[in-house]
Amino acid sequence: MDWQALALTLKLATVTTAILLAVAVPLAAWLVLGRGRWLAAVEALAALPLVLPPTVLGFFLLVLLGPRTAFGRGITALLGHPLAFSFSGLVVGSVIYSFPFAVQPLVAGFAAVEPGIVDAARMLGASQFRVLTTMLIPLARRSLIAAAVLSFLHTMGEFGVVLMLGGDIPGATRTLSIVLYNQVENFDYAAANRTAAILLASSAIALAAIYLGGRPRGGRRA
Amino acid sequence: MLLIGGGKHRMPNSIPKRFLISLCGLACLASLGAQAPLRVAAAADLEPVLPPIFARFQQATGIHAEATFQASAVLTTQIQNGAPFDLFLSADTGYPKRLIDAGLADAAGTADSSTPILYARGTLVLWARKDSRLTPSLDLLRSPDLKRLAVANPERAPYGRAAVAALTSLKLYEALKPKLVTAENISQTAQFVDSGNADAGLISLTSALTPRLSASGAYFVIPRELYPPIEQGAVIVSSTKQRARAHKLLEYLLSAPVQLQLAKSGLTPVH
Repeated sequence: MDWQALALTLKLATVTTAILLAVAVPLAAWLVLGRGRWLAAVEALAALPLVLPPTVLGFFLLVLLGPRTAFGRGITALLGHPLAFSFSGLVVGSVIYSFPFAVQPLVAGFAAVEPGIVDAARMLGASQFRVLTTMLIPLARRSLIAAAVLSFLHTMGEFGVVLMLGGDIPGATRTLSIVLYNQVENFDYAAANRTAAILLASSAIALAAIYLGGRPRGGRRA
Repeated sequence: MLLIGGGKHRMPNSIPKRFLISLCGLACLASLGAQAPLRVAAAADLEPVLPPIFARFQQATGIHAEATFQASAVLTTQIQNGAPFDLFLSADTGYPKRLIDAGLADAAGTADSSTPILYARGTLVLWARKDSRLTPSLDLLRSPDLKRLAVANPERAPYGRAAVAALTSLKLYEALKPKLVTAENISQTAQFVDSGNADAGLISLTSALTPRLSASGAYFVIPRELYPPIEQGAVIVSSTKQRARAHKLLEYLLSAPVQLQLAKSGLTPVH
C-alpha cells in the first residue's frame, strides 16, 4: 500500500478545499448580493471548468504554466521553479478544476436566504462583510458544508489534470488516483482493489467527520 | 403533394415513386457491398505512421481499416474485456503474447501460431526543443543543464522500458532519477518536452520525425546496444469475424514497399 500517495492526496484535497473556500465564499456572496448584469458573466465563467475534459484542462495548464508563455515564465521567476510537475502546480490545477463545485452550492445557498432579512439588515446599516459573516454563512451552513465536501472529494478522485500536469513523481505529484490507475494498467488488480478500498474508506471517514462537525446538536432540523 | 396526390395526376405521381423505389434498391445494394470496417488496435507510437498506410491499403484492396491509438497496455486490457478489434498492433511482444496465452488472440496462418508476428522495431531518441539551447546527445544526460528529463512509464510503455534500460546501461539511472518526469505514454512524453516543461525527453523516433516535432526540436538516436530491441508484435484478435481481411492487412504491413514506408516514418523494418 502506497501510504505516501495517500498522505499526498489527503494533503492536496485539504489545501485545495481551504483555498477554494477562501476564494469561493466571498465570490459567491458578491454574486448573490451584488447588482449588475455582468455578474451573470462572472458566474458563467466560474462554471466553465465543468465543460472541459480534465485531461484537456490539464494540457492547457501544462502549456500555460510552461516556459513558453509569458505567464509561465513570470510564475517560474517568482517561485524559482516551474509549476508543472510540482505539488504547487497540482494545487493550482485542482483549484481551477474543482472551482465550480465550491461556487455552485454556495451561490444556491446564499441565494436561498430570505431576501427580506438581508435587506432589513442592510437598511439598518450592516456592511456587506457583516451580512456575509453573521447572516449568509450561518444560515447557509449546509451549503458551505456541501461546497467543502464536493471540493474535497472532487480533488481526492481527481485524475485527468494530475495525469497531464503531474509527471508521476513519488511524494510530489503521485496521487492515489494515479497509483490506482497505474495498478490497473499494470494488470495488478489485487493491488488496485486495495488502493480503491483505501481511497473509498479514507473519503468516507473524511466525509463523516465533515458531516459530524456540521450537524447541529439534536439533528439536522433542530 | 406529388407523392401523396390522387389518381388524376397519374404521370407526375408515378415518376417519383419509381425514382424512390430505384433509390431504395441502390441503397440496399450499397449496404450489401459495404462491410464493417476492419478495426485495428494500434500502439501510440504508430499514430503518425498508420493513417497514410491505411489510406493506400484501401486504395489497393477496397478494405477500409480504422485504427484506435492507445498505449499497448490499455489496448490489451480492452481486448481482454471484449473490445471489438480485429487486429492488434502492439509496441512490444509481451502484451500480444499475454493475449495469446489467454486464448484471446493468435498468430494463426504463420509458422508459430503462439508467437506474435514481428512487424517493426522501434527506435529510441533523445529529443529537445531547439529554443532550449540544449543539444541532444549522451553528454546532455550528464549535464547539470538538464533539470527535467521526460520518459514514458517504464512499467507499461515499451519505449519507457527501453529508456530506463538505456539510462541503466549508461549507469545514469540512479543519478537521473530525481530529474525524471514520467508520462502516461510515448506521445505524452513528447508533449512534456514540446510544451517546454521538461528540458529533454526519451521519445520514439516516429514522434521525433513528425512535421511538428521535427520543426520545433532536434533528436539524437540512442545507440541500439544500450537497450534491448523494441520489437513490435501483431496478433489477430480471435473473436474477429474478418480474419481473412485482418490477415490481408498484416501481409500488406509486412510487404516490402510498406516496410520501406515504415522506415521513413521512424520504424526499423523487420526484414
